[in-house]
Amino acid sequence: MPLEFEDAVSPSGVPYLCIHASGQVSLADGHAFAALIAPGARHHRGLVLSRVAKGTEYSPEVRKFFPTVHEDFTAVAAIVTSPIVRAAINLMLRFANSSGAVLRMFTSETEAMAWLESHVSA
Amino acid sequence: MGVDSLRIERVLRSLVAASEGNYSVRIPLEDVDDEFLEMEVGINFLLEELLVRRKENEAQREEIIAGAKQIAAQSAALVAALSTPIIVVWPGVLALPLIGPIDSERASHISATLLARVTAERATHVILDLTGVDRVETQTLTALLRMIRSLRLIGAACFVTGISARGARQIVELGVEAAHFRSLSRVSDALALVLAEKTVKRGDTRHFTAPP
Repeated sequence: MPLEFEDAVSPSGVPYLCIHASGQVSLADGHAFAALIAPGARHHRGLVLSRVAKGTEYSPEVRKFFPTVHEDFTAVAAIVTSPIVRAAINLMLRFANSSGAVLRMFTSETEAMAWLESHVSA
Repeated sequence: MGVDSLRIERVLRSLVAASEGNYSVRIPLEDVDDEFLEMEVGINFLLEELLVRRKENEAQREEIIAGAKQIAAQSAALVAALSTPIIVVWPGVLALPLIGPIDSERASHISATLLARVTAERATHVILDLTGVDRVETQTLTALLRMIRSLRLIGAACFVTGISARGARQIVELGVEAAHFRSLSRVSDALALVLAEKTVKRGDTRHFTAPP
């Protein structure tokens, strides 16, 4: 599956949802993610760390779907090393006009985790 | 920001292909961290979106065509049913009020339906009412007269009511013998006559008269 989910805890003990993204991400993957952060689910309004592999692509349907769930998480830190994937995520945010989404891309996991933990007290 | 001319050429090629309706083309991407990459990815997104929309449009078009065909078939069936409203007005007596223009195709349909119904009902009399028919083509009138002759051959007497002045002239011009059918002004007159004939055959003493 292009999105693999894992419950994780940060070094300072903050629980978060970890996602490993690769390959072709479809609408079904988007729905699986949405189910984990939906109201009543364990990670609702929680923190998400996404490791996005080089070559990951998003279908047109899931590109439209992702911005509709931004109210169900507090923050998403995406670790992206590929400029192409970074451009794709930037465009998804731009096309969807989802200014409310708290999503930031990083190249280093340490920085991503530090930023994510800064949202705990927020 | 300096952009490699090859990358610009790739973008232009994709745009030309897209303008010719080929939305399957994609700009080859390289992991180069610059602003132009975002534009290349954006054009690829746009091409994917155009492909999705085209598929949706094609599916909708097919749905509309299928719906239109179904409606046309239902309408044709309804028109065919309404164009030949054969009524049993008395046991063995059928009435067929015709309304609207009658072309050769409709005349042929009427003839086939009526002959089948006369046989099935073992009808002895048919009242063909033309009150609602404004105009009949000469060719069509010929077809209707042929139908009346066929009715006689299978043993049913035919009454024609409501013939317009114009229709009467056409029949005369065609040289049709009056003996082929009996003509009356109203359906009620024809029905009264039929019932009177049936009464005489049965030896009944009651009389049926047409209402005023």
